[in-house]
Amino acid sequence: MATVRVSQIAVSDKLCKGCYLCIWACPWNVLEISEERNWRGVKKPIATKIENCRACRLCEYYCPDFAIQVIVDEEEEKKLLEVEERYEKPWLRRIEKRNEIVSRGVWWLES
Amino acid sequence: MIPESEFENVLAKKYMRTEIMPHAFCPGCGLGIIERIILMAFEELGWDEWEKTVFVSGIGCSGWVPLYFRRDAAHTLHGRALAFATALKASRPELNVIVVMGDGDSMGIGGNHLIHAARRNIGITAIIATNMLYSLTGGQMAPTTPEGARTQTTPYGSIEPNFDLMELLKAAGATYLARWTTYHFMQAKNSLKKAVKHKGFAAIEILFQCPTYAGRYILNKPDPRDMLQWFKENSVPLTVAKKKDPEELKGKILVGEFLHRTDRVEYTEKLKELEKRAKGG
Amino acid sequence: MYVEPGIHLMQGDEAIVEGSLIAGCRFFAGYPITPATEIAERMSRRMPQVGGVFMQMEDELASILAIIGASWAGKKAMTATSGPGYSLMQEGLGYAVLTETPIVITDVQRGGPSTGLVTLPSQGDVMQARWGSHGDYGIIALAPSSAQDMFDLVIRAFNLSEEYRNPVVILADEVIAHVREPVKVPPLEEIKIVERRKPSVPPEEYIPYLPDPGEWVAPMPAFGEGYNMLVESVMHDEFGHRIGTDHAAAERTIKRVYYKIEKNVEKIAMYETELMEDAEIAVVSYGSTARTSLRAVREARKLGIKAGILRLITLWPFYDKIIEDIASQVKAIVVPEMNMGKIVREVERAAKGNAEVMSLPKVGGVLHHPDEVLSVIKKAAR
Repeated sequence: MATVRVSQIAVSDKLCKGCYLCIWACPWNVLEISEERNWRGVKKPIATKIENCRACRLCEYYCPDFAIQVIVDEEEEKKLLEVEERYEKPWLRRIEKRNEIVSRGVWWLES
Repeated sequence: MIPESEFENVLAKKYMRTEIMPHAFCPGCGLGIIERIILMAFEELGWDEWEKTVFVSGIGCSGWVPLYFRRDAAHTLHGRALAFATALKASRPELNVIVVMGDGDSMGIGGNHLIHAARRNIGITAIIATNMLYSLTGGQMAPTTPEGARTQTTPYGSIEPNFDLMELLKAAGATYLARWTTYHFMQAKNSLKKAVKHKGFAAIEILFQCPTYAGRYILNKPDPRDMLQWFKENSVPLTVAKKKDPEELKGKILVGEFLHRTDRVEYTEKLKELEKRAKGG
Repeated sequence: MYVEPGIHLMQGDEAIVEGSLIAGCRFFAGYPITPATEIAERMSRRMPQVGGVFMQMEDELASILAIIGASWAGKKAMTATSGPGYSLMQEGLGYAVLTETPIVITDVQRGGPSTGLVTLPSQGDVMQARWGSHGDYGIIALAPSSAQDMFDLVIRAFNLSEEYRNPVVILADEVIAHVREPVKVPPLEEIKIVERRKPSVPPEEYIPYLPDPGEWVAPMPAFGEGYNMLVESVMHDEFGHRIGTDHAAAERTIKRVYYKIEKNVEKIAMYETELMEDAEIAVVSYGSTARTSLRAVREARKLGIKAGILRLITLWPFYDKIIEDIASQVKAIVVPEMNMGKIVREVERAAKGNAEVMSLPKVGGVLHHPDEVLSVIKKAAR
């Protein structure tokens, strides 16, 4: 029996390309290929036997696309959201700023 | 529960330009694992080290690796990454300069810069991602393609022997050398941590799976899972290899830490010394 | 630290070194090549004295990438070479253009093609300076005519490269590089030096390749300052991200690196005229050829021919307007060049048929004799 209870194994619809290295890496057969394709056309892996997961994170380590994460508990979930807030979000605003400027038309394209 | 539709791994959120991901690599490409090796190393080295790290890369699939990091990065020209990095390090010795190159990039078109960077023993960490052929252009022979292998430009089998990067760089004067595969991500991460801290030219060759071309043409293993399995079964740690005779090691990948020298002075330290002499001090 | 103000007897190659140090150059990478070797030699001695870095690279491909790297490390950087090396540098030049990296390249021209006339002068790289790298881009090229010019123009070159974030080429030739002449060094406070503009916004708001309204280039941070620059050789958008097939973003990037130079030609262009007020015959010349041309023009005046000279200091971007003006004034324009006729094509284009344009090519690694120029002036006057 696993000594840890894992609350979620998140697999990103945005990032997963369906190479299934996570399934190859998992020693406990936690993951399986889902039957349905997501909006990107990928049959992404799902944790059908999450109760077997011992959070060794080999699936994370071998995922080339940063698409999968073992989220053990609420603590880890909180940490994830904190990282998002602190390191990722501040950089996303400038995209809107650029789009707004460019949509108005840039001066060097005139004339 | 975290929603999965736009989910990114915590390392990606912390270190990467998630707005341009998913990255352009093929499904199962090992370059993503190399990215993870780098990020895992810095997760352990700490944010302060990360903040003084800059990346330089050449052209090829491997050249895209640092472009996804939220850090200063230069995507230079084919083969010229080390020239750019050399000047960067010489001008700002306090920075960690990490160069990511492919095998064609470093040993083919950039071979001259590679040996001279090693000769100078300049404090650069070179990560050489080897997939045994040119993959961005569609699978042509590279200096690391095994003799006899069929590629798009060697339809009758390659008649050229391949480079042994570790021996090449040892002779050229590098002071830290290691070779791993993407299967050995943990060992590669530990080597990288050492290399970043090492004063002198450090090179880590990481064999990675290219299922699309190397997998299909050279190994006949188009599935990335089979390629990683092959890495696992065909790599021999140096310590084990010492006890075996050369016949047994044919076609095997020797992995491990090949060299760690501390007897050669690093280039930028010599530069500082030179400046003192020039100023008459 | 710097050369004392006053008059010094200096070789052109020496003058350019001293000028560049005053301009703030703190990194030099080069590879020995005749006739530019003296620049590297003097740099190796002088650069450490001012706290800069001199590096002899393994080849010219590395030299130009090194100065681009140094520029992104926050240093003003220069390299010097001659024809064969300059050919190798074209790939790096394109990289500097697309990534908007300020660098200065001195090309001491020698006779080509190929290894060519190693020790002899030429002006054969004029078109290569404009069109040498692939794709569309703007470039600034300056042509010195004396050791004094080498000193003055290298400072101007650094200033222009910082202002427009673009490579600037100094098209010297063997004669100018090796001539020993008095060079007047003004007091430091009289020398105008442009420093690099740094971003004033926090990193999260900074858009690396989007200039402020009305500007042509964005401020430029150095590596390691937290701005997370992406110095991308692939066609990129305002963030430096690869754009794949976003044609509109590609158009924005290409047009800006082209127009930022071409549309500012009036601000960039420098020239000198002599005896042009009432001239009927104009000699348009540049580099060392301008020296013999001036002599020929003076001789022509003695013979009663109303000749004048326009010396182009900025070759690229080409200043059409000054040629247009001259063409409407004179009946003939003589263009002596140490090549088979290169700038004469630009002159012909800009003159728009308003004056007869006469090319006077000279190859083989020797300057025009003033009499050769004079005889063409005489022919034009008939």
